[in-house]
Amino acid sequence: MSALRSHCALAAYVVVCLTAISWPGYAWIGDRVRPTILGLPFVFAWNVLWVLLSFVAVALYDRSLERVRRDP
Amino acid sequence: MTSSAVVVSVSATYLVACLAIGMWPSKRTSDSATGYVAGDRSLGTLVMYFITGATIFSAFAFLGMPGWAYSRGVAGLYILAYGALGFLPFYFLGPRAARLGRHYGFVTQAEMIAARYSMPAIAGVMAVISVMAFVPYLALQMKGAGYVLETVTRGGIEQWQGAAIVYGVVLAYVLKSGVLGVGWTNTFQGIFMMALAWFMGLYLPQLLYGGIGPMFERIANERPELLRAPGLTSTGAPWAWSEYSSTVIVSILGFSMWPHLFMKAYTARSERTIRRTVVLYPTFQIFLVPILIIGFAGVLFEPAPPRADQILPHMMMHTELPAIVVGLFCAGALAASMSSGDAMVHAAASIVVRDGIATAFGKELDPHKERAWIRRLVVVVMLGSYALAISYRGSLAGLLIYAYGPVTQFFPAVVATLYARRISGAAVFGGLCAGIVVNTWFVVSPESRPFAIHAGAYGLAANVVTLLVLSRLTRPCSDDAFLCVAGTPPG
Repeated sequence: MSALRSHCALAAYVVVCLTAISWPGYAWIGDRVRPTILGLPFVFAWNVLWVLLSFVAVALYDRSLERVRRDP
Repeated sequence: MTSSAVVVSVSATYLVACLAIGMWPSKRTSDSATGYVAGDRSLGTLVMYFITGATIFSAFAFLGMPGWAYSRGVAGLYILAYGALGFLPFYFLGPRAARLGRHYGFVTQAEMIAARYSMPAIAGVMAVISVMAFVPYLALQMKGAGYVLETVTRGGIEQWQGAAIVYGVVLAYVLKSGVLGVGWTNTFQGIFMMALAWFMGLYLPQLLYGGIGPMFERIANERPELLRAPGLTSTGAPWAWSEYSSTVIVSILGFSMWPHLFMKAYTARSERTIRRTVVLYPTFQIFLVPILIIGFAGVLFEPAPPRADQILPHMMMHTELPAIVVGLFCAGALAASMSSGDAMVHAAASIVVRDGIATAFGKELDPHKERAWIRRLVVVVMLGSYALAISYRGSLAGLLIYAYGPVTQFFPAVVATLYARRISGAAVFGGLCAGIVVNTWFVVSPESRPFAIHAGAYGLAANVVTLLVLSRLTRPCSDDAFLCVAGTPPG
């Protein structure tokens, strides 16, 4: 993946994530008790999910850029 | 009920261990200010990881956050929400700042911005804003430490005495060994806290409710309002979406602006270290999950604590836990307070000396004199925060949310410094002043806000508008060499 495509993918992720952890995504999708996930109410699991997704997204972005940095 | 004496002696042993580990590396740094402040630019990924992590793992995490989950429900989850993206700006800003730090010898972010625009006054106003953010944050840590000792001694040591004892230890090791001491202490504490948090987060719901699932079932039935996003306000009314969302966004923008975190760009061994730390940071957020669960475990717990922020130690003292476990846990909470407090007091003092006295007022300080001044300021900042800690009566989380208002005002200035060509020094200065004035105004009189939005967001809007308008009216500073250094990777 080229550097530009990585940048765009990350930017898109950030926009989606921001709406998911604040209004409106959190209000529309995240705000419910059921289904529970590993005993956690959905609203709790929703926030944990976005922490995990952010870790994966930034790790992938970093890996692709690291490849570009080493071999421009 | 658990024996106070064992709990206290376990905690005390822990404090001594901290002191020993904190003192140890002081032999290895050079005796210059760069050695004391920036650890000779030699911190590797492991230490960096635990410094940033444990700095976040503060008294807020162990007391304020469960206190919020307990009294305000899912509002406490906001720390997960902003943590998801909170460190990401540093991925871009950190390495650029590091290059400039190496090239020009900066060790603080204000020094860097003032040099870029050849305007020492910027460093002065940033020193003032930093102190406005650090003092309440440090007061939070002290108050938290006081709460822990007060609870475990069942009021035998009062909050103000507890804070004084714990921060006496912090004062000793920060004065002795500066940032590397802070680093090693945090590494030790980070590992320790993680293990304990998971153990307690799984054990307490099991003990009290028969598991995490049944616990939330009961909360959903008996206190359903606590599980409705985005949670409750301190008065128990539903929190407004606009205020929740703006608090999350202000915190995301402000997080990497904390001078004690931003300075890590100058202490890191390499850019790779900085990026890796950012990538790994959300893994620390996951360790907050059990702590939030512990807070929810308190919701239906009898007897209720004297203050919401004491729910965690209070619950531990009133369940049939072995005293050694309670002792270790309280030590973990103290450690959280100390590891954040030491980094903050250290950063605040260096900033007042380097940015306030040296840069803004143009005082020439040789490295040894500078180091002596930093030590003096460490004592002054400690005393100021201690005064606030013993006089402030609100919640710990309230102090934290207030602290983010001022610190977020650095964001536009840092981005302009590292990326923008057509911004002037006067505009950066004006933006910072407008931002902090508007923020402070709405903190002091929240009822005058046109919409329920975090005061820092109003400040940020005023800041950016002033920055852009003044840049149009004044001559931009086009120091291309500076941006060239920022944009050129080493090697």
